[in-house]
Parts: sequence; C-alpha cells; structure tokens
Amino acid sequence: MELTTLLQQLINGLSIGSVYAIFALGYTLIFSILGIINFAHGAVFTMGAYFTYALIGSRFGFNGIFANAQLPFGLPFPLALIAGGVLAGLVGVLIERTTFRPLRRRGADPLLTLVSSLGMAVALVNLIQYFVGAEAYSYPSSVLAGLPPSINFGTPEKPLIVRTVQIVIAIISLIILVGLTLFINKTKTGRALRAVSEDGTTASLLGINTDRLIVLTFFISGFVGGIAGTLVGLSVTITGPYFGIAFGLKGLAVIVLGGMGNIPGAVLGGLVIGIAENLLPASAVAYKDAIAFAILFIVLLVRPQGILGRAQITKV
Amino acid sequence: MSAATPMLQIKNLCVNYGAIEALKNVDIDVYPGEIVTLIGANGAGKSTVLRAISRIVSVRSGDMSYEGNDLLKLRPDVVVKQGIAHVPEGRRVLSRLTVEDNLNLGAYVRHDNAAIHADLEQQFERFPRLKERRKQLAGTLSGGEQQMLAIARALMSRPRLLLLDEPSLGLAPIIVLEIFRIIRELNQQDGVTVLLVEQNAHLALQTAARGYVLEAGKIAFHDDTSRLIDDERVKRAYMG
Ligand SMILES: Nc1ncnc2c1ncn2[C@@H]1O[C@H](COP(=O)(O)OP(=O)(O)OP(=O)(O)O)[C@@H](O)[C@H]1O
Ligand SMILES: [Mg+2]
Repeated sequence: MELTTLLQQLINGLSIGSVYAIFALGYTLIFSILGIINFAHGAVFTMGAYFTYALIGSRFGFNGIFANAQLPFGLPFPLALIAGGVLAGLVGVLIERTTFRPLRRRGADPLLTLVSSLGMAVALVNLIQYFVGAEAYSYPSSVLAGLPPSINFGTPEKPLIVRTVQIVIAIISLIILVGLTLFINKTKTGRALRAVSEDGTTASLLGINTDRLIVLTFFISGFVGGIAGTLVGLSVTITGPYFGIAFGLKGLAVIVLGGMGNIPGAVLGGLVIGIAENLLPASAVAYKDAIAFAILFIVLLVRPQGILGRAQITKV
Repeated sequence: MSAATPMLQIKNLCVNYGAIEALKNVDIDVYPGEIVTLIGANGAGKSTVLRAISRIVSVRSGDMSYEGNDLLKLRPDVVVKQGIAHVPEGRRVLSRLTVEDNLNLGAYVRHDNAAIHADLEQQFERFPRLKERRKQLAGTLSGGEQQMLAIARALMSRPRLLLLDEPSLGLAPIIVLEIFRIIRELNQQDGVTVLLVEQNAHLALQTAARGYVLEAGKIAFHDDTSRLIDDERVKRAYMG
C-alpha cells in the first residue's frame, strides 16, 4: 500500500472508529450501571438517523404511514443532529421505563432483562418499518453545504484526499467523547454515576437517587446512539429499519474487545476495529465486517476480559 | 430522658427476607443526643434494623418515625436528606473511586459547596491518615483506613443520626479504640445521635447509654447500659 493511501485509510478508520466508539459507549454506560447489555441500542441508533432525516425537512418515501410526509420546516443540520440525538435519548428513557424498570422492580434475573430488551429491539425495528417503510434514505448533500466535498491534505503531486464527511464525523465524535469523559470524571453527577456503577446500595445510602441516574444514563446512551446513527447515515446511507442491527453487533464486538463496562476500553475498541477494517487491501473489502469479529475472537483467546477490562475477581 | 420525644421511634417492625422472618415486632426508641447500642449474636437481625431505617430493605409491617416524619414514606436517598447517615457493615467504600471522591459523595445531598470544602478539611484533621491518601483509590486502603473513610464519608452529610454497623469488625484493638473515641467525640462535641450495632458487646456497652439486646429477630430486653453490663444474661451470651 502506498503511504498516502495508508494515511487516507488511517483517517477513514479513525473517523468510523470514533463513531463505533461513541455508539459503543451507549452500551457501556448502561452495562456499567446495570450489568446488562441493552439490545435495543441498535434500534435507537436507527431511530436517531431517521429523526435527523425528518428534522432537516426531508421527505419520506412511498411506503409506511409517513409516505410522502415532510415536516413543514427544516432545521439546519447541526441543530437537527442535536435534536435527533435528544429524541433518541427520549426513546432510551422510554426503553428504560418499559423494558428495564418493571423487571428491575421485581428483582428479575439480568438474563430476562436482556431478552426483554431484545424484544424491544424487534418491536422498534418493526415500528420504524410501519411508519417509514423499508427503503433506504440518504441525507441530501446540501446538509454539508458550504463545505467542499473533499479536502486534500497532501500536495497536488502527492494528493492525500479525505472526504469532508469523514472529518466532520471524526470531529463530532471526538467532541462527544471528550465531553462525556469530562462529565463522568469531573462532575458531581458523573461521580454519582460511578458510585452507582460500583455499588447501587451504597450509592443509595449516600443519598443518590439511583433510579434517576439510571434514567439519565439511558438518556445519554440514547443520545450518543442517535448521533452515531445520524453520522453513519451521513457517511453512507440509512439502509432501512435494520440499519442499526448489524451496526449493533459490531458495537458489541467493540465493547467486548475493549473490556465490558470500561469507558476507555470502548473508545480503544472502536478505534482498533475502525482502523483495522479500513486497512484491509481492496481485494478483501468484502470481508470488512468479518474483521471486527476476527479481532474479537483473537483478543478473547489471549485476554478473556478484553483489552482494558478488569480480570474477574471473585468476591469473598 | 423518657419525658422527651424520641428522635427515632420504631414500633412493631417486621421484616422478611423471602420466607425468613428476620425481624419480629421490634420496638426501639432513640432520643436526641443519645448513643444507643444494639447487640446480639450473628444473624440476630441487627443489620436488618439499620437497613430498614435506611429504607434499603422493604418492611413488611410496623411503624418507623424520625423527627416526626413517617420513615416508611421516604425513599433511601430522601432518608439521607433528612439527616440520617448509615455506615454499612463491612465498610463498603467505593473502591474504584479516590478517597476524596468518596468523601465528596458523602456530601452528595448538600449544595453548600464552601461548607462542604471546610467539612472535608475537618475530616482530614480528624483522620490524618485519610489526608495523606486523599488521591489514592479507596480500594487500596487498609481495613482500618477504609472504616475511617466510611465513617468520615457518612459525616460529610452532616447527619443528626448516625447508624453504625459493626465499626470494630476485623480491626486491630488499637484502631478500634481510636474509632470508639471518635464516636464519643462526635456525640459529645457535635451532638450527633448514634445507633450503634456491635459484636464487641463490652465496648459497645461502655460507649452507649442504653442498649437493646436482639435475639433471633426479637428484642429480648433493653435497659441502661450500666445495668446491662452486670446483667448475667448479657455476660453469658455476649461477653464470654
Ligand atoms: N439478603 C438476604 N436474603 C436472605 N436472608 C437474609 C438476607 N440478609 C439477611 N438475611 C438473614 O436475616 C437474618 C438477619 O440478618 P442480619 O444481617 O440482620 O443479622 P446481623 O444481626 O446483622 O448478623 P451479623 O452479626 O452476622 O452481622 C439472618 O438470618 C440472615 O441470614
Ligand atoms: Mg450484621
């Protein structure tokens, strides 16, 4: 591979890897507090992409309840991105109320909650199809109006061309990663979240309303999931109601790779998988999706707890 | 003392864990400014009484009131806001957080940041070992240091009632004495009311003014500690 191509692929890898990272953080936050994987997270990702699509004023297709529907207004893309994230966050809260809390109240086995979230994922996917049909949607290219379609970081003789979208995605993802890290490590609420994640009962004894923090966690998880959905939709297309399901599996690979419930681990896992996928030779591109799972397989053989995960310590 | 109204009044408290009846018709009164101890054998239900007060176990029947409020109507986090702090059995510090983070979380229910900061320094004065280790992860502290941290953390909420669950558990005698000195000091100087659960009945009876003896989920008897210390039943069962 030539050096410029290598650099190009590295930047693309970092870009998609950072989206994997913020998406995977959505799983990680919930897992670190409840010890449960929220399988509906992929569906929230999909919904985020559709929310933003609608909010910029785009028209829906020919199928579903919303056939040909369009909002009477269109928000500028940055605003729609955030609003789409907020709506996805609210979907996250709804998932908590309907799928997680009732079972938690009854002291149900985490495995049951996991299955319940899987059921929720299926329901959401079908709901999306019911409303907007199964076709693919693309954001109009006008959302990045004013920006050139690609930027040359090299020289005219030795071009290093990167799509502007990839750079936009990387920047937004990095802002979210930094913001979330600061929130969790530096704020009072972040400190309380860490307390609930280590020991919910002790957190209650300190006056922390654990239910409220769980709701907040689902909101943040849905928010970052929705933003990730929009960013991936922007980079490729929204492939349909199942958009987030394949992506969701890859997100699982990311968190297992990085170490379950571990925030730096999710970020590292995302970047590793994103870069590895993009460094594949052109002839092997068809196997891109296998890469994540191959890496996962190898890492788990060597480090069952993931790259940054804590080894399981049996409590005495 | 019986003329005053109790700060904490527990009546006919019953708690079950599934089919196990952990507490049966327990009555306990704690008056403002007292140290009251609750002693009993392993499994008698001592920790369960404290957990019921903090609302982290569900109560089957009975009444509990604190400063005139019905405790059964409150969530665990609201109980803390009302001025009750609970140092749980086995310390339960947040091991993945620093000493300072643990202490700051103790003040989670408060919003007076300047005063919180002053209280933090006060805890460091009271427990100098914690000050040296303020940036250290709590999980790396020794057992005695963790117990000090758990107590200091509870004090950060400025409680009027302190629930202590076996503060002497697993500690060297000299540290136990230091911790009990601090408990007395808190009670006498800061006027904190204390409900103390202990296995070390001798020390508990010396520290408290009144004591309740819990046997198999029931209050067997209660009295001033000056009389309990010489009580044959107590001597036989709890002081070897
Ligand atoms: N979570 C639980 N589930 C089922 N049973 C429990 C639970 N917690 C306590 N118990 C039972 O309730 C009874 C009282 O327990 P509790 O912890 O209150 O005793 P204790 O007096 O504090 O004992 P120790 O001195 O050993 O700490 C015991 O028989 C115990 O086995
Ligand atoms: Mg106990």
